[in-house]
Amino acid sequence: MDPLAAIRETFFQECEEQLAELESGLLAMEAGDADSETINAVFRAVHSIKGGAGAFSLEALVRFAHVFETSLDEMRSGRLASSDGVVKTLLRAADVLADHVRAAHDGSSIDEAHTAELAEELKALGPEGGDTSESEEDWGDFSFQPLSAAAPAAPATAGWRVRFKPRADLYAKANEAALLLRELGRLGETEVALDDSGLPDLADLDPEAAYLAWTVTLTGDADETAVREVFEFVDGDCELEVEPIVADGGSAGAPADLGEPEIPTTEPDGNLDIGVLLARVQAAAAPQAPPEVPSGAPAPAAAATLAEPSPQDGQGPSRKPEAGATIRVDLERVDRLIDLVGELVINQAMLSQRVMEAGFARASGVAMGLDELEQLTREIQDSVMAIRAQPVKSVFQRMPRLVREVAAMTGKPVRLVTEGEGTEVDKTVIERLADPLTHMIRNAIDHGLESPEKREAAGKPAEGVVRLTAAHRSGRIVIEVADDGGGINRERVKSIAAERGLIAADAALSDEEIDNLIFMPGFSTASTVSDISGRGVGMDVVKRSIQALGGRIAIASRPGKGSTFTMSLPLTLAVLDGMVVSVQGQTLVAPITAIVETLLPKAGDVHSLGGHARVIAIRDSYTPLIDVGMALGYRTTPLDATQGVALLIEGEGGARAALLVDAIQGQRQVVIKSLEANYRQVPGVAAATILGDGRVALILDIDTIVAVSRGADSLRAEKRLAATG
Amino acid sequence: MPAAATITCLVVDDQQTIRSLVRSGLQELGFKAIHEAVDGEEGLRQMLSRPISLVISDFNMPKLDGLGLLRAVRAHPPIQKTAFIMLTGRADKDLVQRAVQFGVNNYLVKPFTVATLKEKIEAVFGILQ
Repeated sequence: MDPLAAIRETFFQECEEQLAELESGLLAMEAGDADSETINAVFRAVHSIKGGAGAFSLEALVRFAHVFETSLDEMRSGRLASSDGVVKTLLRAADVLADHVRAAHDGSSIDEAHTAELAEELKALGPEGGDTSESEEDWGDFSFQPLSAAAPAAPATAGWRVRFKPRADLYAKANEAALLLRELGRLGETEVALDDSGLPDLADLDPEAAYLAWTVTLTGDADETAVREVFEFVDGDCELEVEPIVADGGSAGAPADLGEPEIPTTEPDGNLDIGVLLARVQAAAAPQAPPEVPSGAPAPAAAATLAEPSPQDGQGPSRKPEAGATIRVDLERVDRLIDLVGELVINQAMLSQRVMEAGFARASGVAMGLDELEQLTREIQDSVMAIRAQPVKSVFQRMPRLVREVAAMTGKPVRLVTEGEGTEVDKTVIERLADPLTHMIRNAIDHGLESPEKREAAGKPAEGVVRLTAAHRSGRIVIEVADDGGGINRERVKSIAAERGLIAADAALSDEEIDNLIFMPGFSTASTVSDISGRGVGMDVVKRSIQALGGRIAIASRPGKGSTFTMSLPLTLAVLDGMVVSVQGQTLVAPITAIVETLLPKAGDVHSLGGHARVIAIRDSYTPLIDVGMALGYRTTPLDATQGVALLIEGEGGARAALLVDAIQGQRQVVIKSLEANYRQVPGVAAATILGDGRVALILDIDTIVAVSRGADSLRAEKRLAATG
Repeated sequence: MPAAATITCLVVDDQQTIRSLVRSGLQELGFKAIHEAVDGEEGLRQMLSRPISLVISDFNMPKLDGLGLLRAVRAHPPIQKTAFIMLTGRADKDLVQRAVQFGVNNYLVKPFTVATLKEKIEAVFGILQ
C-alpha cells in the first residue's frame, strides 16, 4: 500500500472514533450534562474530520462538515444556546456526517436532498451572516517572529560551555581576557575554570606569549549569538568553542526570570498558567496537583508553590489516566496464538492423565507441579481469549441512531438507555450481534411500545424507554433488550399462530409457551408488513443467529409493563461447553446449549413408526427419537432405547428431538478444532476436539442430524450443509 | 541554508491522520528526525527531554492547545527560541493574529501541499538545501 493510501485508511479509522465521540458528546448534551469540554470535544471531532477530509479532497464531506462545524462553533462560543431542538438537529446532522464519511470510504451514494435539508437547518442556527469563512488572501501581512540566526540548530539548552583561549595577538591589541570574562558574566551565572596546563617553567616563559585558557559554564537564557557577541572584537585572536549544555527534563529549574518581557501578558488566555504547566510537565512522573494560583501571581511563585505538595488539595485533581498504549496486531496472529494455547490445554490435560495413570499420588511433587501447570495454563488461556475480547460498545453505539430513525418513522418518542457498554466478549460474537440486536430494537419500538396517546391513556409517560444492557453472568455474556411497552398481546399471538397452522386452535398453552410462539418460523404479528420491522426476517431468524453463536434467547413479558428479551452468549467461540457421550465405543460431544434435558427412556414410552423411525413420549407429546449411532453410521441395527440415554434437544426453529446415545461420560469445556480445516466437512459433525486422554472426539451438528434423520427432506438438508460450509 | 536532515522536528496534533501527513511531507523534503506528540502537554514534555528545532503544531487539541504550547515554549528560556509553525484547520485570521502576538514563526492552513509546507518552513529557516 502506498503511504498516502495507508494514511487514508488511518483517516477513516479515526473518523469512526471521532463520530463515536461526536455522538456520545451530543447525547450528553441532550441529557443536559455537558460541560464546555464536551462541547469542545464535539466541535473538535467535526473539525478533525473536516481537516482530514480536506487533505484527501473529499469535497462533499468537507462541505457538510464545514456547515456543521460553523454551527458547533456558534455553540462553543456561547452565541447559540443548547436547546432540545438544537441538539436534535445536531444529532441528525451527525448521522448525515457519518453517512458522508462512509460514502467517501466505500463509494456508496448519499441522499443529497437530506444533506441539503440538514445543511439548511444548520445554517438556520446561525451565525447571522451565514458562512463566515474567509479566504486566506485578504489577511494582509503578519509580522512573524523572525528566527534568531543560531536557532535552527540550537537545541534546547540550559546554558553554554565556553572555552576561551586567547592568542598572543589578543593581548598585543590591548584586549583584556578578564574584561571579556566579566562581560560574559552579565549574560547569566558563570562558573570560571582556569586551565593553566600550558604554562611553561619560569625559565622558558615568554612574557609576550599567551599560555592560559578558561572554561566558562554559563547558565541562563542567553542565546548563542549573545555569547559569541562578547568575543566579537577578538574574533580571530583567540580559540573559542561554544557548546550548549542540553537541558535534562528532570531538572525542575525554571530559572528565576520566567516572566519573559517579550511575552504579551495583556491577554490572559483562559486560565492557563504557564509556570504551573511547565512544572507539571517537567515532573510528569509524579501526578501533580496544580495549586490554585491567583491569575495575577507571577509564574515563578507558582512554580515554587508546586515544589511542595499543596496541603489543601489532598487527593489531587482527577486526572484522566493516559490513554492506554495499544498496538495493532493481525487477527491471524492472535488466532494462531489461541490455537496454540488450545493445544497447550489439551497437552496439559493429557499429561495429567498419564501421570495419574502412572500411579503418582495426588500429594506427590509431580502431581502438585501438574496442578500448578494446570492453573497457569488456564490463566494463559483466559488471557489469550481476552485479546480477542472487545467491549460491546462498538455495536451498542450504533443503536442510538437506529432508535432515532425508527422513532421518527413510527412517530413514537423513544429514549434509549444503554448499560454495561464496557462488557467484553469475543470480536466475532460482537460482529454477529449487530444484526439480531438491530432487529430486536426495531421490534421493541415498532411492536413493543404503544403510541404516545395509548401510553398516556394508560398513565405512562408519552416517551417510551428501550433499555439495552450487557453483563457478564457465570462465564457468559447476557444481553437484554427491554421495552416498557404493552407487553405481548397473548390473545392475538395465539390466534395468529392458530391461523397460520402453527398450533391447534384449541391448544392449551401456558403464557410462556404463547410468548415463545413469536420465535416460530413464519410468525409475524404485524398485520401490515411495516417498513421498519418487516424486512422479511422474523424473531425466528434472530433466534437462529443467536443459536449459531452458541447462545440462547428467552422472552419475558408482562401485560402493560413491557417485554424483555434476554440473550445469553458464550464469551468465546473457541471453546464450547459440551456433554461428552459415548456411542458404539466412540466418544462424541454434544453442545450443552442445545440440550434441554436428559432422560432414561422406559420401554413403554418408545413407539416404533415402522422402519427404524421411533418416537418417544415425553410428558404427553411425541418427540422423534434419533439413534445417533445410526445417524452417523456407527451401527446398522438401532440400539434398544432402554439401554441408552436420551438427550432432549432443541434445534433450529424450535424443533425438538431426542438423541439416543449409549451413555453420558460427563460435562466439560472443549477446545473447538475445525474439521474442515484439518480434514473435510462431514455431515452431522460440526467440528472436533481433543480430549484429555488424547483421543479425538467429534462435536455433533445437532441441527443436521435432526434434519437428516427426520428424513424431512434429506436433499434440502444436504443443500444446507453445502451452504453452511 | 540549513539542510533539512539536520533539523529535528516535532509534529503535534491529536489526529493521527494529520501527523502522518505532515510526517510524510517532511520526509519528502528530506527531514530525517521527526517526532510526534498527541497534544500540547505531550509536545512540551518531549521538548524538555530532547533537542527540537522546529515545532509544527495543530491549534485545536485536547489538554493543551497549540496556542498554549506556543506560550509555554516562548516562556521557557531553554526552549524559547524553537521555531514554531502553527497548523490551523481553517482560515481564521484572529487565531493567526493571536499566534503572531505570542511569537509564532509562521502558520500553515490545512489542507496543505508539500510545496506550501516547504514554503512555510523556508520562510522561517531560509532556503532548505
